[in-house]
Amino acid sequence: MTTYTVYKEQLPELFGKWSEEYSLYVPAKLREGFYDLVAWKPGLEIAWDFDVAYNSPKRFLFPPREALITFDRRTCEAKPVFEAPPQILFGVHPYDVKAINQLDQLLEGGAPDQNYVRRREATVIMAYEPLTVSSTAFWASVGAGTVAHGFDLYWTKIGPAAFTVEVGSAKGEELLSLCGGLVPATAGDKEGARRARARVQFRARKNSLRYNWEETPRLLAKCWDSPLWRRYSQMCLACGSCNLVCPTCYCFDIRDEVDDQLGEGVRYREWDGCMLEGFAKVAGNHNFRPKAQDRYRHRYFRKGKYIYDKIGELGCVGCGRCVRACTAGIANPLKVFNELWEETAHEH
Amino acid sequence: MAKPKIAFFDFAGCEGDQLQIANLEERLLDILGHVEVVSFREVVTGHSDDYDVAFVEGSITRPGDEERLKEIRKNAKILVALGACAAIGGINCLKNFQAENVYREEVYGAHARWYPTYAARPLKSVVKVDAEVPGCPIDGAEFARITKDLLLGRTPWVPDFPVCVECKQAGNVCRYEMGRMCLGIITRAGCGAACVSQGAHCWGCRGLVPGANLDAARIVMDRPGTSRKAVQDLLRFFLGDTGAAL
Amino acid sequence: MNTKTFSPYVPRPVTLVEKTRLSDFVTRFTFEQDNGKPLAHKPGQFVNLSVYGVGEAPFSISSPPRRTQNTFEIAVRKIGVVTSAMHNLEPGAKVGIRGPYGTSFPVMKFVGKDVLIVAGGLGYIPLRSLLFYQLRHREEFGRMVLMVGTREPKERIFVDEIAELAKSGDVEVLETVDMPDETWKGNVGVITTLLPMVKDLDPSSTYVSMVGPPIMYRFVIAECRKRGIASDQIFVSLERKMKCGLGKCGHCQINELNTCIDGPVFCYTDIEAYQEAI
Repeated sequence: MTTYTVYKEQLPELFGKWSEEYSLYVPAKLREGFYDLVAWKPGLEIAWDFDVAYNSPKRFLFPPREALITFDRRTCEAKPVFEAPPQILFGVHPYDVKAINQLDQLLEGGAPDQNYVRRREATVIMAYEPLTVSSTAFWASVGAGTVAHGFDLYWTKIGPAAFTVEVGSAKGEELLSLCGGLVPATAGDKEGARRARARVQFRARKNSLRYNWEETPRLLAKCWDSPLWRRYSQMCLACGSCNLVCPTCYCFDIRDEVDDQLGEGVRYREWDGCMLEGFAKVAGNHNFRPKAQDRYRHRYFRKGKYIYDKIGELGCVGCGRCVRACTAGIANPLKVFNELWEETAHEH
Repeated sequence: MAKPKIAFFDFAGCEGDQLQIANLEERLLDILGHVEVVSFREVVTGHSDDYDVAFVEGSITRPGDEERLKEIRKNAKILVALGACAAIGGINCLKNFQAENVYREEVYGAHARWYPTYAARPLKSVVKVDAEVPGCPIDGAEFARITKDLLLGRTPWVPDFPVCVECKQAGNVCRYEMGRMCLGIITRAGCGAACVSQGAHCWGCRGLVPGANLDAARIVMDRPGTSRKAVQDLLRFFLGDTGAAL
Repeated sequence: MNTKTFSPYVPRPVTLVEKTRLSDFVTRFTFEQDNGKPLAHKPGQFVNLSVYGVGEAPFSISSPPRRTQNTFEIAVRKIGVVTSAMHNLEPGAKVGIRGPYGTSFPVMKFVGKDVLIVAGGLGYIPLRSLLFYQLRHREEFGRMVLMVGTREPKERIFVDEIAELAKSGDVEVLETVDMPDETWKGNVGVITTLLPMVKDLDPSSTYVSMVGPPIMYRFVIAECRKRGIASDQIFVSLERKMKCGLGKCGHCQINELNTCIDGPVFCYTDIEAYQEAI
């Protein structure tokens, strides 16, 4: 695909144009050390060196609370609700693109989740090569440091005021050319982009799995009865934070709410998490994962084995968000997987 | 079907929860269209002892309260605890950590011995409570939802997960990552993480989440820069009647 | 199907036509599809039923597949919010359903074989669908044995129907209760005690279908294995919280399996290795 060179001074005009038709989200600083994708407005300072967006981009495609249907209690008629505002996510790091690709596969596969599909179709993903690495991230060692598809444009900052932009889709190219005059990237610029990537990849290797990530499912298969699950889960608050901040977690609960006349209502879904105590509880209160260690282990198996068995990738992209979010300090896939590796060292 | 009759009562508390309901204004009229209010001091005059649903606000702080509450329980088919004081004892339980003569003199001065009082407690310590509208104050929208659930013959749903869930949904930066204390990790959600979203931290007004891991929570809260006194004060603030308070 | 407005989360309306009390706790509901079509389910599948404003919950279909009728039955224990609300419904009331969802008992595999149906507690409800389907084609199957276990006599459901079956001679019926009262004259003990009572069982051609409370499976399966029945001849239907029915919401996971699409009916061979299954 084509790669262009774009200069910082072109951005305000481009952003302005885009935001006429799209909600545009860009990385910005929330407070010292915290960044997130926020709605762009002219003059907003973009945090080019953000290490990780505090909230994962899944919220744009799979909002925390989303109406699925409306219903009428008197007639028992139900209608679907679709909401898919056109939006551009500018500045999505490759590991987050990878997470979105995974959501695409899992939510669009089988019986496609139409609500997700529609939002996804209305969303333009502009990937962005990170310049810095969060202290809890380990994406380079789980195969999520680079991404080959799933973006419309891929931006790499090659200098204080210049970017290379790799085109990933016709839509992306069209958006880029809105202000006219596209300059193809020179060989030198491309080399600059390659170096920028190599630099950050090198830095990201600081936190690494002690083994090839593709071994994880086989490793876990041996570790169902590991004492580690109990050791860590004793501290588990069952708060679900690790699930909710995870860019690849998409479990949800479904509930009804009726209007004050008790006539019409909305059925909506809300983020849920397998670490919450009642997640696997059925009517009559039988809980199929009653203990913290059952739930804790389930999460790591899901990330390290179940998803892999389905689609050939880890369910963890190494963003490190759960490591930060866990107040008890027990959510850390890197640490857990490495410790399990050590535990089974005599076998390999 | 005859409209269910509802009545409001209060014990030791500020009536702030009933005020929250009154503040629903137009929504209140819609909801009240499905019921007959026989007693609601904040909104209507008059009183009757013929009711199906009793909303009870405030904690039980005097031996004499028990009799009145048991009478309400006897009359009502459904008894709903309204607000933190009624549901979990709330801030009234702060006095439980003081000597009786100290708080009695503080409140009643020289006439202290005329007023019998005992450790503050939630309604459920005295009678069976069918449903709770937690919070200090309650959230009007949640009151509306719970009332609608009752009208639909459904056991009201209140979240059984901690505030962290709603904080993550809201996208808030975790207070602990900012080096601050927060009770969201053990407190029942349902407020939409209101306090944290406003820049404060969770005080625990909605009571403990079922199955709260208090041992872990104490270790989490015991961080460099936080005094044990500060942790204790926070845990006593609303959760004095629970196992969380030290 | 209009793809512009299609959403898998939208239920279609069905009307309650009959409500029969089966025990103090369990009621049978007969619904009619408003679209006039048969439900087209297979034995063992479930539907997600909505009482609007209260919620949605999964229920096994209790009636056998019907090609010409648009009615179907489910039987429900009053235990959660949706089931309580259902008990307040009267004939004529409408609810929504999605489905049928999930896997079914592989009836074709049972053709020409002996069939053992093990129903613990409310397990008879989904197994009814299989049982009556097979009875409709009785001549295609070998020996048929129905084992029913209940905790207490007062919790027994479909009492007359099961007595009728026993009388008909089409099915050998064995029944037991765990905790008898003075009225109970039959077998006493957990359901596993019934298996040794089945005489001349030919393990190589016996297929077992079982549904019951979570605790039951391990013991009944062990008993079947002891009698020499291979694990690929054992079929179980597992209950989990099947919220979305589409394999998305995650609540019904058994290890990596989604009970709602990979189950609820599993061949025991396929789940033997899954720690969370049984």
